Amino acid sequence: MSVSTRTPRAGADKAPARGSGPKTAQRFRLGEPGTAWLFMTPALVLLAGMLLYPIFYTLWVSFSDFDLALFEPVGWVGWKNYEMVLRDPGFLESLKVTGIYLVIALPLQMILGFAIAFLLNVEWRGRGALRALFLIPMVVAPVVAGGVWRMLLDPLWGVVNYTFGLVGIGPVEWIGDPTLAMVSMILIDTWRWTPFVVLIAAAGIMALPGDVYEAAKSDGAGRWQTLWRITLPLLVPVMAAAFVVRWLGAVKMFDIALAATRGGPGNATNVVNLYIYEKGFRSLEFGSASSMATIVLIITIVLTYFLFSISRRLENRW
Amino acid sequence: MRRSLRLTAAAAALGLTITACGSTAPEVSADGGGLGTAESPVSIRVIANDAFAKQWQDQLVPEFNKKYPNIKVSVDGVPYNDQLPKTMLELTGPTPTYDVVLGDDSWIPQLAKTGGLMDLKADVSKWTDAGYDWADFNPTPLAAGQWDGKQYTVPVRSNLLLMFYNKKLYKKAGVAEPTAETTWEQYFADAKKLVQDTDGDGKVDAWAIGTYFTKDPLTPTVWQTVLNSNGVALLDDDLKVAFNNEAGVKALQTHVDLLKYAPPGASTYQFNEPLEAFRQGRTATMLMWGSVYKGTAVDEASTTLKPEDVGLTTLPAGSAGPGAHRGVWSAGIAKKTQHPAAAWTWLQWITSKEGEQFTGNTLGTFPARNSTLDGTPAAEWAAPVYEALKAGYAAVEKNKMWRPRLPEADAVQQILALQTSRAMSGQATAEQAIDEAAKEITELLKSKGYPQ
Repeated sequence: MSVSTRTPRAGADKAPARGSGPKTAQRFRLGEPGTAWLFMTPALVLLAGMLLYPIFYTLWVSFSDFDLALFEPVGWVGWKNYEMVLRDPGFLESLKVTGIYLVIALPLQMILGFAIAFLLNVEWRGRGALRALFLIPMVVAPVVAGGVWRMLLDPLWGVVNYTFGLVGIGPVEWIGDPTLAMVSMILIDTWRWTPFVVLIAAAGIMALPGDVYEAAKSDGAGRWQTLWRITLPLLVPVMAAAFVVRWLGAVKMFDIALAATRGGPGNATNVVNLYIYEKGFRSLEFGSASSMATIVLIITIVLTYFLFSISRRLENRW
Repeated sequence: MRRSLRLTAAAAALGLTITACGSTAPEVSADGGGLGTAESPVSIRVIANDAFAKQWQDQLVPEFNKKYPNIKVSVDGVPYNDQLPKTMLELTGPTPTYDVVLGDDSWIPQLAKTGGLMDLKADVSKWTDAGYDWADFNPTPLAAGQWDGKQYTVPVRSNLLLMFYNKKLYKKAGVAEPTAETTWEQYFADAKKLVQDTDGDGKVDAWAIGTYFTKDPLTPTVWQTVLNSNGVALLDDDLKVAFNNEAGVKALQTHVDLLKYAPPGASTYQFNEPLEAFRQGRTATMLMWGSVYKGTAVDEASTTLKPEDVGLTTLPAGSAGPGAHRGVWSAGIAKKTQHPAAAWTWLQWITSKEGEQFTGNTLGTFPARNSTLDGTPAAEWAAPVYEALKAGYAAVEKNKMWRPRLPEADAVQQILALQTSRAMSGQATAEQAIDEAAKEITELLKSKGYPQ
């Protein structure tokens, strides 16, 4: 079968009618939409297999009784799994823990990221090297980052406590204390992801139009006025985009918590993804775990939609 | 019309492919797949824990091949946390990848419930060697592979939670070495003295204890042992919670109190941390799986200690006797294997008297056979270790010191791990943690259909 992507055009009726010529000259034409669908089919099949199928399977499991003997969902149980999950204090606590992490970590990373980007934007010797060094945390695998930081923060063997000890502080139970464990998790996550925000912010800053600054300067605007009245408003779309991208990454928080704190002590750093993982793959409670995953998916979609709306409004406002 | 035909043909092809993918494994030949020949060897695959898979592949398999050169064995290592779900998928899948599966002590009921494991005393009996002596197994490790009256697995790495102690640190502190008669009260009295400054620089540099304290399913095994050594079980015979009482609170509190005598940061201790602390002479005692003995006291590459520095005994005694906790790795045969004869031959060899002596002497694996335990080990260091092991087996048998024997055991341990961690970090008192754990376990078992 040969495929033609030519679209019908004026005078096409003058072409020999299909089937009227010799057989060897016959061409099977799909037309533009058909060809487009043909080329999209592999991608669609992949998408359906790798995205839609897992989602629908998770939904199916969430409404079923998962038989461990057969290792597959059997029997429709309606909302039973969801009722159990909503009564599960561990799940509700993990949502709270995730909320605390997001509320602290995301603004912290945004502020630090943009502040560092401004510093890197100023001409000074060695900023190129520093900019390159900033990328290192981003290329370290999260599990490795969590494990390494766990060693660095160890009260007996870790270099952080050793340094604190030199000035008479400690030993500090960075991972053993519930509050400090959350602080540690946020610190590790910030260490890893702030460079990403720096990267986006630096690109945004470099793309700012120079003529606006020249006009502001000739109008006598000071540094702070320029920053508050020109730079930050112009950067709002970049900030909004960076925040949304970072949000989408942060809601998936799992590996750093697993490697650094294992969700502990107690539930202090048990983010919802880790809780679902443990429920599913350690306790083999696949029905409950699937219900939790579905609830989290819905919450994430709603919040992401909300964030996109705000982002669009901010872009339109400035 | 032609288009419809093409679509129908494509759909039929896809359907056939899917059917082929979902087809079940073919019937096994009468000889169980045979033991192979030089021209046509038999290959079997083993799913094991990554902690010892490489050791098995590099040292155990070549030794096995000296006797059975026509059975090629591949041992794949899987991280502990992934191994149970992977094995469950393996046993319930339509076509088997692995012929032999390994499981930790508490997983066996869950794996057996899938129906994917062979009963080793019935399904493969026709390939059982006449010299294979079932009766020689110590009942404690052998029981780890039993469920519902059947023997699904056979012990390949016997293990117990035992107490290691550093003789030098005990001597330095002027404290008598612990014995099987040492009680928890005596232990805590000694623990105060075992937190010491060994080099005289005015700073504490050695502590009394290192063990599991962090949020991990194996952490509760410490206080479960204390509970059991006081004659109380986690679940009663009707599978109802039996630890929500004074004994349960006392047991958990004992575990929590150990933290006072542990190094800074010990609340995050899992498996490696207490091991490292003990091997570097930082802790006087360690409650740990006995199988680490060789790496802790013998192998110079991994420890600063020598066999004469390290003692091994049962955990301090409660009112019902000394403590220990069973943690036996055992191996079974997948029902869908095409090579049951070769798989069983491999398992019989590694669990035979000959195989067990090889693994004991070369890899430091603990034996499960009475003849090995009572015999003279090739390595000098092993003799006192085997004595401690026998005492441990007896303690385990007497007070039923193991994790719950039900398919939901891992889920139960998860609940206990969380509540233990809350008590360790001060987020809950021992009483609150025990109450919460009891409530959650009751809820779990109820949801699984157990009368509560």
